[in-house]
Amino acid sequence: MATATAQALRVMKVSGNSRNVEEARARVFDFFKLACRSLPAVMDIYNLDDVVTKSQLRSAISSQIRKNSHITNAKVIDMLLFKGMEELGNIVEHHKQRHHIIGQYVLGKDGTLHDSSIKDPGTSDFLKNFYSGNYF
Amino acid sequence: MAAVSATCLRFQPLFSQLKKSSQAAAGLKPVALGWAKNTGFPSLKASRFRVSCAAKPETVDKVIEIVRKQLALTPETELTNESKFAALGADSLDTVEIVMALEEEFDINVEEENSQNITTVREAADMIDKLVQEKAGGGS
Repeated sequence: MATATAQALRVMKVSGNSRNVEEARARVFDFFKLACRSLPAVMDIYNLDDVVTKSQLRSAISSQIRKNSHITNAKVIDMLLFKGMEELGNIVEHHKQRHHIIGQYVLGKDGTLHDSSIKDPGTSDFLKNFYSGNYF
Repeated sequence: MAAVSATCLRFQPLFSQLKKSSQAAAGLKPVALGWAKNTGFPSLKASRFRVSCAAKPETVDKVIEIVRKQLALTPETELTNESKFAALGADSLDTVEIVMALEEEFDINVEEENSQNITTVREAADMIDKLVQEKAGGGS
């Protein structure tokens, strides 16, 4: 099954020259569907069944896509899609290892599992900005 | 949750009618014949929302549950057959994600053109039932 998805990835060309944002949006959805359909293979390769569910991985992928949802330049979107396809190909062809996947897609910012999406109201704004970056 | 239990209650008379009609039509496909007969029953007219003939209630329930989890809705939000995903606060990526979650749950494959048209709960349930039937028909 892993080889089938790897072949599907090679055949499927998601990146390309989009003329406008709408075409790029369609490519983004194609990429997302491709990634979701290769999730069973990924769970199998890296033995992630007891750490995370497919739906958590799906929401991790979609939140990464959403981080770039404000971009309006079609060529930039194409470039991001190219990088996304490269990453997906690396993961499916087992070029990465389990701890990479867990660290990058399963764990949240504070090192805990992705479930805690509830914001802690007690932290100050200064600390929130400080944790996320240097410039604020 | 009160809305959901009302749904279950309403579907009881539909199921009993279906059983009687399927016993009567031995040899024919019970699903098609039973649902075709149901359009005339007074219980269908009395129910608050019209259930499409093709969608099974447990499919609709599973779809609703997946939508609720995906969009992180509170239990009080009303989710009926006619609820549009966009009205519930889903953007286009959310809709694609819901379709993917349904693909995983029901073990089906949604083609490109089908996925563009899914905007309500009912359309999703209809398409799922059709694909599951096709899959079962092709496999046997």
